[in-house]
Amino acid sequence: MAIASTTTAPADTAAAARLIAAEERGGARLTAAMLVTPATILVAVGLLIPLVILFRYSLNEFVTQRKLMVEAVTIANYAKFFTDPYYINVLVRTLRVAVTVTAICLVLGFPLAYVLARTQSRFKNLLLMLVVLPLFVGSAVRAAGWMTLFGSKGAINATLMGLGLISTPLEIMYTETAVIIGITAVNLPFMVLSLQSVIENIGRDVEEAAFSLGAHPLAMFRRVLWPLALPGVLAGTILTFILGMNAYATPVLLGGPKFQMMGPLVYGQFAGVNNWPFGAAISFILMTATLLLTIAANLIVQRRYRR
Amino acid sequence: MARLRLDHVSKRYGDFHAVRDVTLDVADGEFVVLLGPSGCGKTTTLRMIAGFITPTAGGVHLADREVTGLPPWKRNAGMVFQSYALFPHLSVAQNVAFGLEMRRLAKADITTRVAEALKLVRLDHLAGRLPRQLSGGQQQRVALARALAIRPDVLLLDEPLSNLDAKLRQEVRVEIRELQRQLGLTTVMVTHDQEEALTMADRLVVMNEGSVRQIGGQRDLYERPADRFVAGFVGRGMFLTGRVEAPGRFRTEGGLALACDGGASGPAVLALRPERLEIGPAPLSGLDNSLPGTVEFISYLGAASDVHVRLSPSDRVIVQVANRGGDAAPEIGATVHVGWPATAGRLFAPGGDPPSL
Repeated sequence: MAIASTTTAPADTAAAARLIAAEERGGARLTAAMLVTPATILVAVGLLIPLVILFRYSLNEFVTQRKLMVEAVTIANYAKFFTDPYYINVLVRTLRVAVTVTAICLVLGFPLAYVLARTQSRFKNLLLMLVVLPLFVGSAVRAAGWMTLFGSKGAINATLMGLGLISTPLEIMYTETAVIIGITAVNLPFMVLSLQSVIENIGRDVEEAAFSLGAHPLAMFRRVLWPLALPGVLAGTILTFILGMNAYATPVLLGGPKFQMMGPLVYGQFAGVNNWPFGAAISFILMTATLLLTIAANLIVQRRYRR
Repeated sequence: MARLRLDHVSKRYGDFHAVRDVTLDVADGEFVVLLGPSGCGKTTTLRMIAGFITPTAGGVHLADREVTGLPPWKRNAGMVFQSYALFPHLSVAQNVAFGLEMRRLAKADITTRVAEALKLVRLDHLAGRLPRQLSGGQQQRVALARALAIRPDVLLLDEPLSNLDAKLRQEVRVEIRELQRQLGLTTVMVTHDQEEALTMADRLVVMNEGSVRQIGGQRDLYERPADRFVAGFVGRGMFLTGRVEAPGRFRTEGGLALACDGGASGPAVLALRPERLEIGPAPLSGLDNSLPGTVEFISYLGAASDVHVRLSPSDRVIVQVANRGGDAAPEIGATVHVGWPATAGRLFAPGGDPPSL
C-alpha cells in the first residue's frame, strides 16, 4: 500500500511514511519492469525490426529485367503509387470499405452491446460466448461459407428465384457489398465487446437520473449514454477500422480478382510480381493512412466531448 | 387533495409480491418517510412514484394528475439517488442545468435557476468542478440541487444519507429537513435507519414484506405500535411470550405472573421497552409489576447502560439505566428488582416477526 501520509500526522511520521512509500514504489517499479519486458521484447523483435527493414526496402530500386531489388535511396515507389490512378483507387476503395464497415458495426453493435451490458439474465456469460463464437471460425473459412451463400446459384439467389421474387440472379458475389457484409460479420464481435465492457461500467442509475430529470430515451442517449460510452466507441471503432483496412481473406475470396484492396495488393507485390520495394512502400502507405485516420478520429472526438 | 396519492398500489414479480396494496396520501409540503428493513418494498414503492416501475395494480396520482402509466420523463418528480448518480462527464453547473435544458428553458433562465439551486445547497463556488473532484457530501448536495432545480412536484430521496459518514449524516439530515421546510417541498424519503426516519419525518410509513404495517407520526409509532413488527422496528422492543389468562393478567412461558393493560384471553406477546423499566435494589412498590432477578450482563453505552436481567429461566429483560454519575450501578451477578406499570407493556398476537432485540 502506498498511502503516503495524512495531513494530521506529525512531520517526522509523515516523512517516514513517505520514505516507506518511496521504497515500496521502487519495488513496484522493479516488478512492473519484469512484467512488461517479455511482451516488449516480442513486439520489438517481431514488429519494430521488420518495420525498419521494410521501410528501408521501400526506398530501394526495383530492376524489372532481373526481378531484383537494388540498393538505393529513392522515393520512386511512393511516387509510383500516388501518380497511378489505379493504386489511388485501391486506397480510396479500401478506406471506403473500412469506414463503411466500421459505421455498420457501430450501428449494429451498440444496441447489442447495450443489451448484453444491461441484461440480468443468468445466461449472460453464454450470450457473451455467442458473440465471440464467430471468431472461432477464421475469416478465410467464413468467406468461403459466404461464397456458397452469395453465388449466382447460391442459397440467397436460389431461394429468391425459387420464390419467384426475382427472375435473374442478383449479383452479390464479387461486389463491394459482398466484401462489406463479409468484413462486417468478422469485425462485429470486436465492436460489441469493446462497447459492452464500457457500457457495463456506466451505472443504470445515471440513466434513470436523466429520465427523472425529464430526458426521453433519445435525449438520454445523446446527452448521457453516448458521451459516457465514448471510450468504448473509440476503442471499438479503431479496432474495426484497422481490421477493415487490413482485411485480406475476405476481399480476396468475396471480392474476386478484380476487386482490389490494400491488403491483397501488398501480398501481390511481394509474392506475385516479386517487387519488394513497391510492396514495402504500399505497406507503409496503408499503415500511415490507418494511423493518421485513427489519430484524427481520436482528436476530433476528444475536442468534441472533453471539456 | 393530496399532492401525491398512492391508491391500492401493488407490484408483483411472478409469485413474489414486492409491494402489496399500498395506499398513501402525502399532503402538500409534507415530509413522509418510508421505513423498513431491506426487501420490505419501500424502494419499489418509491420507484413506482418516480415511474421506473409500473405497478401491477393500483394508481399513482401526482399533483392532480394520474401518472400511473407515464414514463419517468413525463412526470415531474425530482429524485436523489443513493449513489447520487451524477453525470460524471458534466460539471456541477451542467448537472444542475440538465433537467432545465430538457424542459427547453431559455438560456438566461437556466443560468439563473442553476445559480439559485447551487446557492441553496451552498455550492455556488464549485459550479465549474466535475463530480469526481468533489467530496461525498458535496456530491450529495449537487444531486439535491439537480433535483430541486426542476421544481419537482415531489422530491424523492432514496437512502440519500447512507453513503455519508456518521457525523456528516447528522448535519445533512438537518440541512435537508430545513431546506424541505423552507421550500415547502412535498417529499418522500426511503430509509432503513429508524433514527434518520424519526428525526426527519412529518409522518412515517413502516413497511415489511411488501405491506404497510403502520402509518403515523413518531409518537404514534413509538407509543402505539400497531403490531409486534412495528414495536420491534421503531425504538427498541423486548418481547415476552405467554398468554393472557384474564384481562389484565399475563403469564409468561417462564411462569411469571404479570399485570398487563387489558387484553383478551389467549396466547399473546407482551412488548416492553428498556427505557420504560425501572430497576432497584429492593422491590419497587407503587409499580404494577415488581420482580426479582439476576443481572447477567451490562453494556455501558455512555449516556446510559443496558442492564440485562434474568427474571425466570426463559424470561430476560433489558433495562436501560441513565448514567447520572454517583449512584452505584448494579453489578453482574447481583440480585435486583425490575418493575414497570401495566400501561408500559403492550400486547400483541403471537407469531410473526422475530423480536429485533
